[in-house]
Amino acid sequence: MESSPQMVHERGGQEETPQPQAGPSGASAALAQEIAELWGEHLGSPGVGPEDDFFALGGNSLAGIKIIERVLLDHGVRLSVRDFYLAGTPAKVAELIEQGRAGT
Amino acid sequence: MRLTPGPARDVDLDTLDLFDLDLYSTGDPHPIWDVMRERAPLHHQVLPDGREFWSVTRYEDVRRVLGDHREFTSERGTVPTHLGTDDAAAGVLMTSTDPPRHTEVRRPLNAKLTARAVRSWEDKIRATVRRFLQPALDGETFDLAEQALLLPALVTGPLLGIPEKDWAELVQLTAMVTAPCDPHFLVGSEAATLAISHHELLNYVRDWATTRRADGGEDDSLLHHLMSVRPGGAPLSDEEIALDGYSILLGANVTTPHTVSGTVQALVERPEQYAKAQADPTLIPGLVEEGLRWTSAACNFMRYAVDDVQIGGGTIPARGAVVAWIGSANRDASVFPDPHTFDITRDGAKRHGAFGFGPHFCIGAPLARMTLRIFFEELLDGCASIELAGEPEHLRSYFIAGMTHLPVAAQKRHTP
Ligand code: HEM
Repeated sequence: MESSPQMVHERGGQEETPQPQAGPSGASAALAQEIAELWGEHLGSPGVGPEDDFFALGGNSLAGIKIIERVLLDHGVRLSVRDFYLAGTPAKVAELIEQGRAGT
Repeated sequence: MRLTPGPARDVDLDTLDLFDLDLYSTGDPHPIWDVMRERAPLHHQVLPDGREFWSVTRYEDVRRVLGDHREFTSERGTVPTHLGTDDAAAGVLMTSTDPPRHTEVRRPLNAKLTARAVRSWEDKIRATVRRFLQPALDGETFDLAEQALLLPALVTGPLLGIPEKDWAELVQLTAMVTAPCDPHFLVGSEAATLAISHHELLNYVRDWATTRRADGGEDDSLLHHLMSVRPGGAPLSDEEIALDGYSILLGANVTTPHTVSGTVQALVERPEQYAKAQADPTLIPGLVEEGLRWTSAACNFMRYAVDDVQIGGGTIPARGAVVAWIGSANRDASVFPDPHTFDITRDGAKRHGAFGFGPHFCIGAPLARMTLRIFFEELLDGCASIELAGEPEHLRSYFIAGMTHLPVAAQKRHTP
């Protein structure tokens, strides 16, 4: 099982750290938009934005399974199931993908 | 939730919140259901977020809602934690499929789970139960509720074909599904906890099926059996197998432990009933049925009305969600006289609805009954008496009536 060592993985303190005003890099804004569109496709709701909440959009595990598969196909990154659902928004998922690419 | 109710109390049916988790972790729902059966056999509640549901609490109404798929469909979901979100697995998952497709999916699995089929497991299960009880017999304080969470995995793991190394994690995941709000299991938010646990369970069974297909391995297990069934002429896809395996894992893992703990707690509180069963082991099947009725571990299941429907003296509108409170039905005095008395010699205890009614009647009931019978045979044979050795704690869930802690100390029995 992919994420078994993370049974008690909790949201880290990361979100508490104030984001620099400049905002995310261009690359990650584009990626966040791309992920938002992917969610829209699988959640049947066009117009998803980078800061929209997965569960508020009616997201569930069956949609999550498809989205994680697509991210693996399109970006070559296998997201951890837990990280994906705890991330909650396309912008945060984009960050996870970039971390995954950077191998961190 | 408390299984032995406290004194009757006044209930304001208009402001009543049946999804208030405190009611189940520290409160006492039985006196409320008593009032509902009496005064509001059809109850309507709107949640703060606007979702609404109807409740039935009388035995006959609960039986009708769970048993009649023409009036009350399972296809939009059956678990109240998902109220308001249509079940994405409708028509594929056994639990959220109506006949006739349901009959097709269920038949081949059923063949593996009949009373006759599970009898071949008796000796294995007995050996497992003995090992399970050993620390208690050695006189250690034993947190039965905590330990019992592992029992179904020990019992059904080999039957399902799941390797031992994965059991603990699967138990954790199924616990997250059933009680996402319990602090023991919560990860992030309730929604995240549910999604993570569903997802990982589905992944687990699907990966299992994929690996098995690839290596061509064959065994006698239930999951393997799913790979070979052909409902309607075509084999199940890996996704369908994942969904069925998921419901079996869930069904087995989340209810049996709480039936064990709740029944043992009833016996600890009533040493005379314990002594009675010990003196006459032929009473054990009756003890098991009364324990199932008393604990009603699956506290409720949900359906959606197909059309406007008259029930309990009122009307549920078409597409309305209705929660059938099994825990209440099993204390309906018109079926179980003196319902709040735990009596292992009760006549007709077996009419209880702890396993549901009709087409979705628990497919694991024969296995659960046998496991419970063996458990109590071994417990009564091994322990002269059992006492409470700490504070019991109840599960924070309105769906599963269960315990998270039940510390007990046993006196070993020195008999022939
Ligand atoms: C004391 C233990 C158990 C209790 C109280 C219990 C309770 C229930 C109830 C009330 C239902 C009906 C759900 C509905 O009407 O929608 C049900 C269905 C089911 N149970 Fe159990 N169960 C127990 C043990 C087991 C075991 C050991 C297994 C697996 C081997 C299992 C697997 C299932 C499955 C797969 C279903 C769905 C059946 C269908 O939709 O046709 N259960 N259970």
